[in-house]
Amino acid sequence: MLEVENLDVTYGRTRAVKSVSLTVGEGEIVTVLGANGAGKTSLLRALQGAVRPSGGRIRFNGRDLTAQSPAARVRDGMVLVPEGRQIFVSMTVEENLLMGAYLRKDASVDRDIASIYERFPNLAERRYASASSLSGGEQQMLAIGRALVSRPRLIMLDEPSLGLSPLFVERLFTLLGDLNKDGIGILLVEQNTTMALDIAARGYVLELGTNVLEDTAEALASNTALTEAYLGGHGETATEEPARLA
Amino acid sequence: MLLLQQIINSVMLGSVYVTVAVAFTLTIGILNFLNFTIPTLFMLTGMTGWAIAYWGLPMGLSGPLPWPVALVIGILVAVLASLVVERFTFRYLKTRYGDSTEHAIPLVSSLGFLLVLENLVQIGYGNDSQRFPGPDADLTLNIGGLFVRIPQLVSLLVTVAIVVGLTLLLKRSRIGRGLRAIAENPDAANILGVDTARVVPVVFMLTGLLCGLAGALFAVNYGEVSPFMGEDIGTKAIAGMVIGGLGSIWGAVLGGLVVGLLEMMTVHFFGADTVQVVVWGALLLTLIAYPQGLFGHNSIGKGKL
Repeated sequence: MLEVENLDVTYGRTRAVKSVSLTVGEGEIVTVLGANGAGKTSLLRALQGAVRPSGGRIRFNGRDLTAQSPAARVRDGMVLVPEGRQIFVSMTVEENLLMGAYLRKDASVDRDIASIYERFPNLAERRYASASSLSGGEQQMLAIGRALVSRPRLIMLDEPSLGLSPLFVERLFTLLGDLNKDGIGILLVEQNTTMALDIAARGYVLELGTNVLEDTAEALASNTALTEAYLGGHGETATEEPARLA
Repeated sequence: MLLLQQIINSVMLGSVYVTVAVAFTLTIGILNFLNFTIPTLFMLTGMTGWAIAYWGLPMGLSGPLPWPVALVIGILVAVLASLVVERFTFRYLKTRYGDSTEHAIPLVSSLGFLLVLENLVQIGYGNDSQRFPGPDADLTLNIGGLFVRIPQLVSLLVTVAIVVGLTLLLKRSRIGRGLRAIAENPDAANILGVDTARVVPVVFMLTGLLCGLAGALFAVNYGEVSPFMGEDIGTKAIAGMVIGGLGSIWGAVLGGLVVGLLEMMTVHFFGADTVQVVVWGALLLTLIAYPQGLFGHNSIGKGKL
């Protein structure tokens, strides 16, 4: 479904992503791991079209999207849940969900929003409240709900568990599993290595912008040298971090 | 009774300030850009409206046209001019020079547009005030001894309709949500498919429309236009916007009315010479007492509509 070939992202003279290739199959969960500054966020921003890659190609369902706008990518079914959620705090919960439908002109938007409320009853109760009144976990649910309203084939998430309480991290991963059962492909960038590898089928490891390792999630999970070498040697603390932040 | 009459007059005057102040607040609230071309757009409608009503279309395309037609053309000219400003100040300079100069360059270049257009109009039509051949501005309703001039009443109603319409547009429509999304977080808006290059011109179209309507109402009410007509209105509208609170539409409405009231009361009690002192003095005092303006939000800048 998603095929990325030799992608380069350059900011001024810094090459944040160097010749990264990856694929996500139809309905597959793929995770991208790496320490801070490994280029994960830059990779996702290039995939969503927020930054123009300086080299390489992005194909989605056979169509070359490398030079296309973010809007074209959303229309084709790729959507990003950005780092730090970035919901619109000046809007209500419902208006945030409607922003997910910004490019949709069909009549079933209301039905899709209703199904988001079914999935997240907390949001339904607060639909006319300001999004700023939601808790961190609820805001993450809203960010994911907003992305879902665009009817994606592939949802990309940038550190969704960051800053969530253990309860919400649990719910988040359950939700990702559910979405995947509905046939949505997931590209997951996570610091919570253990949980990410637990849910994913395959994984890639980035170091300083380069793809240094790719394997099945199982193989990566049992590879203890991996956490030592590429994830800053404190893979365990990384998994504990979200809990402590909460 | 005289005082009450003055208050009525001030609401009518304030309604012109309100429309222009709302135009200022729209670009500040959404784009964080103090658009100095606004007084010029206001003037362009008045002057082209006058020129077409008096001389006809340029290059002998027509003889003098009826004043309502002339004003509609004048409003269209303001909208088009505003889009030109977007293309050559805001978009071009922003994409070219990026973030570090984000605020300064569009601001200074819009000031450039103000001066160039104002001087072009002066070269074309001279420095003199011209009489606008509008309706009889003295058509008056007498309500229990209080006089309300009908063109002023129409202006007030148009202004109310503009503000309510704009609020509904921002709150209820898809494009309005897109504008608010860009105002709050352009990155997140972009990710969801809001195309800044398509949405930003909408802000400038609305700006042109608001200034054009205000210019047309001014021409009809005061029966006089000049290449400098925007300067006084523009500065007072900025004062009104800041008094009301930057980036808040209802703040701009309140601020515009406050400035109109202050002006009329000052003229009534102290004479016309002291108007600027009182208006700008009030602005400074407001900022000391309420740094965010009367209706303002906690922080000044983006994402406030």
